[in-house]
Amino acid sequence: MKRIEALEAILPAIETVPVVVTCAATTRELASISDRPNYLYLLDSMGLAVSVATGLALALDGEPVDRVVVIEGDGSLLMNLNALATLGFLAPQKIVVVLLDNGVYGSTADVPTYTGKLDLAEMARSVGVAVSVASERSGLVDALDRAFAEPGPHFLHVRIEPGNATCPPYLPDPVALKVRFEAWLAGHVRAIRPPIAR
Amino acid sequence: MTAQTDAVIAGIERLKLDFLPYLPSSSIAPIIEHFRLKSGRTGAPVAFPISREEEGVGIAGGIALAGRRAAMLVQDNGFGNSLTALTTFAVAYNVPLLVLANTRGGLGEYNSMIHTFSAGVPAMLSAARIPAFLVDRRNSPDDWTGTIVEAYRHAEMTHRPVALLMDFWAPEPEVGK
Repeated sequence: MKRIEALEAILPAIETVPVVVTCAATTRELASISDRPNYLYLLDSMGLAVSVATGLALALDGEPVDRVVVIEGDGSLLMNLNALATLGFLAPQKIVVVLLDNGVYGSTADVPTYTGKLDLAEMARSVGVAVSVASERSGLVDALDRAFAEPGPHFLHVRIEPGNATCPPYLPDPVALKVRFEAWLAGHVRAIRPPIAR
Repeated sequence: MTAQTDAVIAGIERLKLDFLPYLPSSSIAPIIEHFRLKSGRTGAPVAFPISREEEGVGIAGGIALAGRRAAMLVQDNGFGNSLTALTTFAVAYNVPLLVLANTRGGLGEYNSMIHTFSAGVPAMLSAARIPAFLVDRRNSPDDWTGTIVEAYRHAEMTHRPVALLMDFWAPEPEVGK
């Protein structure tokens, strides 16, 4: 399964939940097939997607938002592996990590990551999150269905092939992405805290 | 507890935070302990540890995007660990985020190595376009409290990360006086 096929497979499940998307080719491919206001693309913050999603999931606990999905890559997760430990420690129930693991830094000449030798699913198990493993479309869709049905945190380890789809550059203003995402969220949560009074 | 410690606690309480991620330092340990013991009680923020300041920027930023209030309590050498996250996420996306950081360089610091980093923090933050404010021995406790509140408001109003550098050092009184 290629990355863009994995992204196409999860599209129906992520239409109505906040989604944090890791940088570079993953962002470009998702934006090329479905660019929605509930997607927060982190255009250059490699390693930060799981952390941002953790914050969102903590804040949205108790709000009428089913899940917070984060689409991460193996190279990016390895850049901030602390995020996995903190995810296990804080254990926000609504988070679903979809790790698209192609074993390479896909946006920087396919240089191999550690995952040819190390198993990120085992690392995720070691911090106490619910882990599913998939390498083809039906398994991914089933795993995502389960992650939406059962309390998390969930970690879907998806083995994909190296290689990027040919997509145009995706160059929005990050502030516009943030405003779009906040506006979408504001329409889906009960209360936004007002600024502190003087 | 020092008057400065009490002032920081009072300032954080006035912010009515929902979440308080932290990493320890001896200067802020009593503050962390205060909020750790009250964590999640009515009116108190959920205080929780982070493992590195970089992820704290992501977590606190995510909380802010969801319309909740968070501030991060760390020491200033953590700006080194978090500079890329601050600039590519909080600054680039206009995410309001107050970082309360005790200073390590300067008067009273025993660790000669940490001066190498901490002495340059204000200039580094300036270069990263992150507003930084300082409170130290010359500020009254009320000023510490008020500056914390205004720094948070500054982050909200300007839609930017803001650093408040807190220098807890004060000269010890001379013996016999």
